[in-house]
Amino acid sequence: MAALRAVGAALLRPGRGEAAARLGYHKKVVDHYENPRNVGSLDRNAKNVGTGLVGAPACGDVMKLQVEVDENGRIIDARFKTFGCGSAIASSSLATEWVKGKTVDEALKIKNTDIAKELCLPPVKLHCSMLAEDAIKAALADYKLKQDPNKEESEKKANNA
Amino acid sequence: MQAALRRGLGRAPRVLRAAEAAPRPRCAPPAPRCWSCGGALPGGAGLPRFCPGCRALQPPAPRPDLFRLLGCDRSFRLDVQQLQRRFRSLQRALHPDRFGQRPPKEQHYSEQHSSLVNKAYQTLLDPLSRGLYLLELNGVEPAQETDCDADSEFLTEIMEINEKLAESKNEDILEEIETLIKVKQEELTKEVTAAFERDDLQEAKKLLAKMKYFANLEDKLKNKKIPP
Repeated sequence: MAALRAVGAALLRPGRGEAAARLGYHKKVVDHYENPRNVGSLDRNAKNVGTGLVGAPACGDVMKLQVEVDENGRIIDARFKTFGCGSAIASSSLATEWVKGKTVDEALKIKNTDIAKELCLPPVKLHCSMLAEDAIKAALADYKLKQDPNKEESEKKANNA
Repeated sequence: MQAALRRGLGRAPRVLRAAEAAPRPRCAPPAPRCWSCGGALPGGAGLPRFCPGCRALQPPAPRPDLFRLLGCDRSFRLDVQQLQRRFRSLQRALHPDRFGQRPPKEQHYSEQHSSLVNKAYQTLLDPLSRGLYLLELNGVEPAQETDCDADSEFLTEIMEINEKLAESKNEDILEEIETLIKVKQEELTKEVTAAFERDDLQEAKKLLAKMKYFANLEDKLKNKKIPP
């Protein structure tokens, strides 16, 4: 009886707990949620590491995605940390899997719709895949900026002139 | 208490009587009538009311103004004690327990009223939901789910607190985080109050979005302190 109550309590917390994940999410989402790929951090100060940090103001989720790029412009490692619902965790976990091995330009072509399709996200969870796409873009932009730090400065000067 | 409320709500304000006396434009909706006895109802639409004739509880309005329902000014600054007093007195009059001997239809109305009053109280009591509701009343679009926040300094802070919370195992660190969140929420509440008072709704919206991140942290902290 006590065990039954505990299960009931877990079900009442939407989006939290494994029981809720199993009930509400597609099995691909649950798989990423229970066995997230590439969780963790890379050295954000390294010159060949790009860090993207994005948030969703409507639901208060935060997502950090990092890429490590080799001298040929290929992404050799990726890590993420997401504090949010199961779909947001799964979207960023999948994003790290997909960017690995791609060049920076190839990775820029990953679309949220591809992520949503792969994870069979329902319409109410599409924004989680958009957050993941934004995180990839932000990480790659940070990487590019690090490679050519003067570019933005000179652009600013050009704009001000 | 219920009798007092029945009397209070049954009294038609003079202004409304005058308005009713004015010639009605064609196609005006018919004057509201009691569902039970068919008697004409006085003003006060939008607030819980009883029929002055047969004393039957009338159905709730479809989308009442929650501030008005709980007798508060439509402002972010709010007297919590007054809110609680009004909430309790409404529940005393409208709670389904009071309607056990009444017809099923009236019992149903009392359930609807009672849950509406609960919802109104919860919405207005919490600064975040109160602020969001106030934005909605002012016609400000809420933050879209597709909006992306890129205030990296703020997000870094949120990320760090989240990480600290996820890793923390001892009570002292949890308490430290709890205090930090509380201080942040209080600061933000002050800033939101100021933003609403100078009518800067866009700034209020931004600040409320920040509050949402801290509210999530607060929930996680509670879950951690009382494990599932």
